[in-house]
Amino acid sequence: MPKLAALLGFGAILLALPHALSFSQQEILVFLTINVLLVASYRLLTLTGEWSLGHVVIMGVGAYASALLSKRLGIYVPAAMLLGAVTAAMIALALSFPLFRMKGFYFLIGSFAAGEIIRLLWKRFRDPFGGPKGLKKIDPMPDFDIGIYAFDFFEPVSYYYFALAVVGVSLWVMWRIERSPVGLTFHAVHWQDRLAEASGVNVRAYRTLAFVLASGFAGLSGALLAHYIGTINPNSFDVEQMVFVLTWTIVGGTATFYGPILGCVVLTILNEIVLREAGFEQMRPLIYGLILILSVLFMPKGLESLVRGAFSWRNARKKKAGETGAAG
Amino acid sequence: MVAKMFKNVLTRRRLLGSGAAVAGSAAAAAILPKSAFAADKVVKIGFLAPLTGPVAAWGKPGLDGCLIWGEWINAAGGINIGGEAHAVEFVAYDNEYDPAKARTGATKLIREDGVKFIMMLGGDTWPGAQPVADRTGMLFSTLLPSDLSPDTTTLIAPCEVHPIYNVTGVEWLADNMPELKTAVMCAQDDALGLPSVATYLAAFEAAGIEMQDDPLLFDPATTDFAPVVTRLISGNPDIVCLDTCYADYVHPICEQLFQQGYGGQVISCTADFYQQIVAKTSEEFMEGFVFQFPDFDDPALNDESINFQMPNEFYAEYASRYGADQWGAVSWEYASIMDLWKAGAEKAGSAEPDAVLAAMKEGGSGLHAFGEADWWGKDLFGIDNALVGNWPIVVIEGGKATIKEFRSIPEWYAKHGELLKKHMSAYGQMWDQRT
Repeated sequence: MPKLAALLGFGAILLALPHALSFSQQEILVFLTINVLLVASYRLLTLTGEWSLGHVVIMGVGAYASALLSKRLGIYVPAAMLLGAVTAAMIALALSFPLFRMKGFYFLIGSFAAGEIIRLLWKRFRDPFGGPKGLKKIDPMPDFDIGIYAFDFFEPVSYYYFALAVVGVSLWVMWRIERSPVGLTFHAVHWQDRLAEASGVNVRAYRTLAFVLASGFAGLSGALLAHYIGTINPNSFDVEQMVFVLTWTIVGGTATFYGPILGCVVLTILNEIVLREAGFEQMRPLIYGLILILSVLFMPKGLESLVRGAFSWRNARKKKAGETGAAG
Repeated sequence: MVAKMFKNVLTRRRLLGSGAAVAGSAAAAAILPKSAFAADKVVKIGFLAPLTGPVAAWGKPGLDGCLIWGEWINAAGGINIGGEAHAVEFVAYDNEYDPAKARTGATKLIREDGVKFIMMLGGDTWPGAQPVADRTGMLFSTLLPSDLSPDTTTLIAPCEVHPIYNVTGVEWLADNMPELKTAVMCAQDDALGLPSVATYLAAFEAAGIEMQDDPLLFDPATTDFAPVVTRLISGNPDIVCLDTCYADYVHPICEQLFQQGYGGQVISCTADFYQQIVAKTSEEFMEGFVFQFPDFDDPALNDESINFQMPNEFYAEYASRYGADQWGAVSWEYASIMDLWKAGAEKAGSAEPDAVLAAMKEGGSGLHAFGEADWWGKDLFGIDNALVGNWPIVVIEGGKATIKEFRSIPEWYAKHGELLKKHMSAYGQMWDQRT
């Protein structure tokens, strides 16, 4: 019951949040929500122990596919978004055949190379991908009215609610996957791959499954992005963006579901709001890099370790208070 | 970046710079026409350009230049709008050359800061800001007219008609060095590089200079330019054209040309921070390097046809504050756009975007930094929102950028416009080819 109340309270805060923010902060909130899905999907991939440098490009696959499907074929935008996610998953499936012949560092480099090939294809083939300039005037999410609220998707608040719903459902699905036997097998593949293999687990199949699922959700986040800003180009999904995803993941930590999300939220607020408002706009890359180094040095288990520490401390206090009460 | 941090502490150079700033403001106050009113009202101008990241060289120096421009204008009594003096204040937002951040920045500048005009670099970032411009009717400027299309009615390119002015450099080369017969070209494969490639191809064809090979397009992520340069000069071309490469590419390419012993002619759209290139190569190697962006201490800019207030003093002030080696292509451009905006606002008696735009375009001509110019562009951009006139040809002589001549872009276009359209179409750069 307290958990349900906490969940409802958290939901209420998320619904009320944009109304407490300025216009530009509402814009940042939309991008943050989309990035939460991206970084959570990245963690799903890392569950099997593989770190990819092509995840942002896969996000781009979803963005390009969704944009082209709606722009060229006139497919209804929400349907195009789902198809964009499916396309990203299918591309990941195709890539998995060469990539999962590799492991660890080799997989990392292989995924980077695969991503760069996709980016070069976007640049090379102006038709249909628009070349280096990418795609513009991507169909926006169509406005609609539900009686109590009129959705105007140019406005960040409307798009935030839409993205929040999509991301919320996606996170719930990912959470369920991680808690299912499939998710437990992902962990086994990560930590005891030889033992898992000896127990009859098809390690490669599970790695592929994690890669495809994670890519599908990354593709969905790309589609959400494309239909909001209305333009995408190959540089939107370059290695620099991937470094941001890695930074969020490393600073947040990957041991828990919420670790990378925490990293994404904290660092985005710091980078886009705190440092800009504090007048350090042009020094942000320096400060951002410094934070990454300091967090690796002094908080190797990520921000999630602070949360876990706080919960442990609270539980210990409760336990102690209980013992004292019982003794009294 | 660390160096920039330390720039914020008081140094001898900064102290001297402050002195120069005071002197510059005093000079501006004395020379510029002074308003009869105290500037107790403020008009805010947005600056939405990359201030960090690889494209910062085309944003940050422009903001620095605008700050000097603003101080001088305010010291001289501000901008007279509707009979009232207004101080000008710049509000900057670093868009990191990212369309999503350009959208956020445009929203902040318009809906929170209440700016009346927004200056952008353009390129990849304009499509991000465009929906905000469409909804709000805000007047925007870009340095890249390839952003223009019939839909962009509130977007103007009033200063730099990139890359069309590059034709003047090639034409000047052909007239003054007729012995140069062959050329090669390299460019980054992106929104900035490709229209420039098409323009240079048209200019070389018009000048009768043969291209030895197709333009060598490299990925913007390239960091090692040795193989690029090796391939580029393998046929011993008379001219190496660096297109509109970012400063981060021009410098290492020049270093490689120097190290690999190239002794021919080099032409480039920009040579930002060229003193650093001279230091990395040699004065002899850089002698005769042709590009398109002058230092504003050039005496040729004191001509009465030039519409930029005190260019030599502006350059001196800039150099004293930030260092002469930090002067770049855009250091003066955004300030020059502000001259046009100021004239438009004063003429309109209003700072409202539609009124200023109408005043600026009245009569179909305007005062560009390098002389009288026409609002033009329907042929190439589908809309006459680019201000086009003369452009300087700059040559490095004795390690210093020197204006050799001003040439007319419209005159070149009248003769060779079809060539330009042919190459622009081949590279998918006409407005109706943009996806």
